[in-house]
Amino acid sequence: MLVLGINIVVVAILLAVYSFVIMDTGLLGVAISLALVGGVMVVYSTAPQDPTTNFLLNYSKNLVNVLTSSLEDLDLLDSKIWIVRRSDTTLAVFSRTPCLEDVDPGIGFSGGSPYIAIPIEIPATEYTETAPVESGEDVERMLRSLLIDEFSICRNVGVSYEDGLYRVTVIGLSSSLNEFMKYPLDPYTVITLATISRVLGARCVKLVDRRSIPDGVEIFIKVEKD
Amino acid sequence: MRNRLYIFITIYIVLTDIAITALYLLNEKRVDAYVAINILIYYTSYAITRPSIPTSRVRFLNIALLLLFIAIVGYRVYEVLTR
Repeated sequence: MLVLGINIVVVAILLAVYSFVIMDTGLLGVAISLALVGGVMVVYSTAPQDPTTNFLLNYSKNLVNVLTSSLEDLDLLDSKIWIVRRSDTTLAVFSRTPCLEDVDPGIGFSGGSPYIAIPIEIPATEYTETAPVESGEDVERMLRSLLIDEFSICRNVGVSYEDGLYRVTVIGLSSSLNEFMKYPLDPYTVITLATISRVLGARCVKLVDRRSIPDGVEIFIKVEKD
Repeated sequence: MRNRLYIFITIYIVLTDIAITALYLLNEKRVDAYVAINILIYYTSYAITRPSIPTSRVRFLNIALLLLFIAIVGYRVYEVLTR
C-alpha cells in the first residue's frame, strides 16, 4: 500500500504540472484530490499489520512462558518486580532481596538469593519537566505518549500520587495483550515501571501491586532509591 | 482491524473516483471544491468503517484534513458574506 500511495502521489504531481501548463484548474483539482488519496494511503500503510502482530504475540507468549517456568523453578513467582536503572541499561529484576544493584542480565545469585534480570528498552521520548514530580503529571504525559500515541495499546491512562505510591490506572487494554495480565510480566507493568524510573530519574523502582479492574488494570509503584 | 482498513481504503477510493469524475465532467473549475468533497468522502468512509487505528500519524492526518476543510468552508462563507 505504501508503494501504491507514493506512486499515486507522483502521478498526481505530474498531473498538477500538466494542468498548470494547459491552465486547467479543474484538472488541478483532480490532481490535488489524487494527491490526497495517495497521502492517505501512505499514512495508513504505516498501521500495524495483523500477520506480523500475530506472530509477535505468539513469540512473546512463548518467551513469557519460559520466564514463568524459570520463576517457578527459582521459587520467585511471588517475588516483586524491581526496575534497576544503571548508566547504560535498565533491568527488570525479579528478586526477594529489595533493590539489588549488583546484578547482571540473566539468572544469578546476589545477597544469598536468586534473581532474574531482564534488560528492557523503551523508545526514547523527549522528556522535559513541566510539573512537580509528586503530582504525577509528567509521568502521565509520558505514559500517554508511549501507551496511547506510540503503541496504541490502551484508551486512557491516569496517574495519581498518594502516600508515597504512584497509582497508574490503565483503561481500555488491547484485547490481544489482555491475556498477558495473568503472567508475572506484562507489557503495561514493564512500560509503566520503566517510564516512572526514567521520568523521576530513580535508580530503583518497585512494583507494589497490580490489580485488574473492569476494562483495565491498576498498577501501584513505589520509588525506592532516587 | 486490517480488513476494516482495506474496506475503508476501498470505499474511500471508489467514492472519490466517482465524485471527482462527476465534478470534472460537470466542468467544475474550483480547486477547493474537489478538495472539500474529497475530505468529506474521507470522513464519511471513516465513520462508516471505523478502521480504529489511533496512531499519531493518523491522528495528525485527521486533524490536518479537518483544518483544511474548515479553512475551505470558512473562505467560501467569507466570500459570500463580502460579496
